[in-house]
Amino acid sequence: MKYILMMHCPKTGYESFGSWPKEDIQAHIGFMKQLDKDLKASGELVAAEGLADPRQAKIVRAGKDGAPVTDGVFPESKEFLAGFWIVDVESPERADAIAARASGAPGPGGKPFIIPIEVRQVMSGPPDDLR
Amino acid sequence: MKYILLMYAPKAGFEGYRVWSQTDVQAHMAVLRGINKELTESGEFVDTHGLGWPDRAKIVRAGKDGEPVTDGVFPETKEFLAGYWMVDVETAERAYAIAARISGAAGPGGMPTNMPVEVRQVMSGPPEELV
Repeated sequence: MKYILMMHCPKTGYESFGSWPKEDIQAHIGFMKQLDKDLKASGELVAAEGLADPRQAKIVRAGKDGAPVTDGVFPESKEFLAGFWIVDVESPERADAIAARASGAPGPGGKPFIIPIEVRQVMSGPPDDLR
Repeated sequence: MKYILLMYAPKAGFEGYRVWSQTDVQAHMAVLRGINKELTESGEFVDTHGLGWPDRAKIVRAGKDGEPVTDGVFPETKEFLAGYWMVDVETAERAYAIAARISGAAGPGGMPTNMPVEVRQVMSGPPEELV
């Protein structure tokens, strides 16, 4: 079963990240690198990506002629997707356990940051009868 | 440059989807498949996934002992990520154009859904000085 683990970060979190001491940032990134390494070794890692600063986020809709109508930036949004993992695991409990590990990544002062991670199953495709 | 196109659907939209006519769902899927095919041919396609129904979404945090603490489901949440595309394109404008095509995919009665698509740049990794 494939699950996506979405790391949501409050906007203030993005802004404060730059003011963490360098060694705290390095410990945080080191933790995430080790997590990726462990998930690769167990064969569970499908993909992991980090997203750029939310200040560049835009919302796009199709205009009447199909041309893009862009909207943004969103200073009022409180939460942004910071990055995600896709894992292929045997059970939903295993997905939760991996999410908990990511949630506990060290923050300022090396304390667990307790980041909320949204866990959603990934579908392989639309139902056969709707193709 | 890699961009991720995040297709958000209002929760009402997820529920409404279940009552679209089969013809409308098939037409919608066909448009999305056509977009995937074109992006594959142009070499811009990286990845796409659809997510499971939001009535099963959970938020996971690390507990004191690192064990997962799960929270959810979230009946009050208004918007959910329905799926995403990752594309590798020359410019941000090209990413917006692709997002507009996705947004313009046919919905009920063949009218464009005009679903909002959030466009975010994907980073290749943390800045070198922090690794």
